[in-house]
Amino acid sequence: MIEVNAALIQKVADLSRLELSEQEIQDYVKSIGDILKHVEQLNSINTDGIEPMNYGVDGGLRLREDIVEVLQPKQDGKPRILESAPEVLHDGFKVPQMIG
Amino acid sequence: MKTIHEIHNAFDLGKSTPLELTQQFFNQIKASHHNAFITLCEARALNQAQILTDDLKLKYNGKVPRTEKPLYGIPLGIKDVLTMDGVRTTCASKMLENYIPPYTATAVIKLENAGAISLGKLNMDEFAMGSSNENSAFGPVIHPTHSDRVPGGSSGGSGTAVAANLCVAALGTDTGGSIRLPASFCGIVGMKPTYGRISRYGQIAFASSLDQIGPMTKTVEDAALLCEVMSGVDDKDSTTADVKVDSWFKTARDTKVENVKGLRVGVPQEYFIDGIDAEVKNAIEGMIQKLKAEGAEIIPVTLPHTQYAVATYYVIAVSEASSNLSRYDGVRFGVRPPEAMQARTLVDFYKKVRVNFGSEVKRRIILGTFALSSGYYDAYYRKAGQVRRLMRTDFENAFQKVDVMVSPVSPSTAFKLGEKSKDPLKMYLTDIFTIPASMAGLPAMSVPVAKDHQGLSIGMHLIAPRFNENVLIKAARIVELLAGDSK
Repeated sequence: MIEVNAALIQKVADLSRLELSEQEIQDYVKSIGDILKHVEQLNSINTDGIEPMNYGVDGGLRLREDIVEVLQPKQDGKPRILESAPEVLHDGFKVPQMIG
Repeated sequence: MKTIHEIHNAFDLGKSTPLELTQQFFNQIKASHHNAFITLCEARALNQAQILTDDLKLKYNGKVPRTEKPLYGIPLGIKDVLTMDGVRTTCASKMLENYIPPYTATAVIKLENAGAISLGKLNMDEFAMGSSNENSAFGPVIHPTHSDRVPGGSSGGSGTAVAANLCVAALGTDTGGSIRLPASFCGIVGMKPTYGRISRYGQIAFASSLDQIGPMTKTVEDAALLCEVMSGVDDKDSTTADVKVDSWFKTARDTKVENVKGLRVGVPQEYFIDGIDAEVKNAIEGMIQKLKAEGAEIIPVTLPHTQYAVATYYVIAVSEASSNLSRYDGVRFGVRPPEAMQARTLVDFYKKVRVNFGSEVKRRIILGTFALSSGYYDAYYRKAGQVRRLMRTDFENAFQKVDVMVSPVSPSTAFKLGEKSKDPLKMYLTDIFTIPASMAGLPAMSVPVAKDHQGLSIGMHLIAPRFNENVLIKAARIVELLAGDSK
């Protein structure tokens, strides 16, 4: 059985791009530990040869023709997709400059 | 006025208009203390209501065009997980506090094309993650009749709004029980159709192999009508199924109690376990007896993997969530806090942006990332997928013998605010009876059948085979008729 400790939570939080407080780490050590302990019971089931069910539909997805549809711009001509952008520059998404 | 049918009759008789009704609901919403709505679309809705009112008189000679527009002038609430063009859509998260989408969800478009009026966006658990609606960044939703209780989640705003008469009906979404649980706790009807019935285009994703949109209504007939309007293939959602949509509204309207004769009703033995509240158990068993007395064939069935439902779900759903929620990177939409602008690396930038997730959402992202991570994938994600298939096979076997299955929706009635919020596992177990149908993609409903000694609603859970909403609605209507005034 996996031991859930602060180091594991911190490692997975890093993989998830999440910053956690000390309090949150302690909370997740306990709660995620409890949940994974509950999940351990799945090991008692024999699943040899069973194909995992990873999708909600069988037989693949229904695909459509690959045709470009243009979202109508606003009256001012600006692309509407930019309306909720945190920062915009010259009709593009602006991000802070960074190294690394 | 309670149901869509009654409202349309009132419109026909000139006793009300779409505009008067819409205004009346806004007055009720503003006077309510339930925190059911996050955003109101007052100007948009009143403008639409004015047009419908004028058209009713001038274009339709005062007679509601029921066939052409079956939801003519019906004010609805929309769960804030569904996008509406130009209307703030938050998913009850600080992350999307300022998000104004440039497009509308297909389900909402279909309802509005049928004449419905969207009053506003309903409160919910953040990113639809929760069973009590205590995880909203906009504060918890209050139960419609018991202010110290939760309405259930994650569509808690929808449940309360319908039950407290803040709208005629509402849209919810259901991943592991998020329509059916609040419907049961709030004493209304909730329906999750078959996976693939209703397009999720414009539904902000939580767990894509499970998420479904569905109606939350005061009656089975209204649920059937809304579901019928929303169902069908959509090029914008490749998981939608090309399966004939029957007239479920007609089924609901025409079903009589005597139609129960010969209906094979399965009772899964694993759903009547220790730990169920005695009043819930008695109410459901009482309804099963009524069904039997009217001529239904009651058949015990077994779903042997039920006990593993919560464990399986909380691996699969969180794994999908961790992937879906990776899109919140602060680049194209969402809140970008000032601290993020000081970041020196991309990883640091993402971390500063993603502080806007609430604690339950972060818990699930971490759990899901863990289950998908190198070295643990086979033991957790793959294993859960295998058990999920076994659960689906359980249903396929049971449905060889029965037309529909019935059970409680949840082991208890609405619990107290704060009662389970400190213990996530305890909270997750609330969904033990609703999760299996989600895992198998089956249509399922919650129908109120009784109240406990405190006046809290008890819902009966009905499950049908894939794409057999017709038998589900028929059985649900019979249960509704048999419950009568005891609900």
